[in-house]
Amino acid sequence: MGIYDFTVKTNKGVEKNLGDYKGKVLLIVNTASKCGFTPQFKELQELYKTYKDRGLEILGFPCNQFAGQEPGSNDEVQTFCRANYGVTFQIFEKGDVRGETAQPLFKYLTEQKKFEGFDENHPIATKLVEALKQNFPEYLEGDGIKWNFTKFLVDKEGNVVARFEPTTNPASIAKDIEALL
Amino acid sequence: MVKLYGVEGCGWCQKTKKYLDSKGVAYEVHDVELNAEDAAACEKLTGDTAVPVLTVDDKNYVLGFDKAKIDALLGL
Repeated sequence: MGIYDFTVKTNKGVEKNLGDYKGKVLLIVNTASKCGFTPQFKELQELYKTYKDRGLEILGFPCNQFAGQEPGSNDEVQTFCRANYGVTFQIFEKGDVRGETAQPLFKYLTEQKKFEGFDENHPIATKLVEALKQNFPEYLEGDGIKWNFTKFLVDKEGNVVARFEPTTNPASIAKDIEALL
Repeated sequence: MVKLYGVEGCGWCQKTKKYLDSKGVAYEVHDVELNAEDAAACEKLTGDTAVPVLTVDDKNYVLGFDKAKIDALLGL
C-alpha cells in the first residue's frame, strides 16, 4: 500500500485518486475547517504560489476534531478568522484525521512518519501543549495527529519523507520542498 | 449601507454581528465562502483573506472584531 493507492474526495465531492499526483512533490496538511491556527493558511498559499509551477501540490484536508480549542498566542491576539477561502490549492472533503474514525490516508501518513515532538521554540508550543493537556490529554500520546496544520511532505516517487508539526511554520519548510523539486 | 464580509461558523463574525445588533446598526452580510465576487472584493479591499471585515465606503475598513475601531468607523 502506497500513497498513490488512496482515493479521496474533493470539497466539491469529486473522487480523486492520489495516483494522479505521481511525479509531483506533495505537502499534505490537515487544515482547520473554519477558524483555526489562522496564519498558516496564508503561508501555505504563499508556498503554493511560489512552487506550484515547479511541481508542488498542496493538499488540504479540513478537520473539525480540534475545533474550538485554538491555543492562540500571547503576542498575537487574534480577532479574526482566516478560513479555507482565498486559497487556490486543493481542499478536500471534511473528515477525521485521528483516532478510530481517521481517514485511511491519515492512518497511513502517521504510520509512515511518527511524532517526534513539537518545536518548543515556536511561540504557540507551550500554549498548545497546555491546551492539549487540559482538553485532550490522550492526543499527546502516540503518533496520531496532534493538532491542525500537521504537514507531511511526499517526494516525487510517493515516499513520505518528512512530518512537520503545527509548531513548524509553512514558510520554514520551503528549503525542504526545494530539495525535492 | 454597512457591509459585513464574513463566513459561517466564524466566531468573530458572530461577535461583530451581535455588537452591531446591540447598537442598532443595519448591515448586509456578504459570505465570502459562498460568493466568489464577495471574496474577491474583500481581498481587494484588505489585501488579506481574513474576516470579519466591516466597511461603509469600500475604502475604509475594520478587519477583525475590534470595538474601538468599529466605533470609529461607524461614528458610534
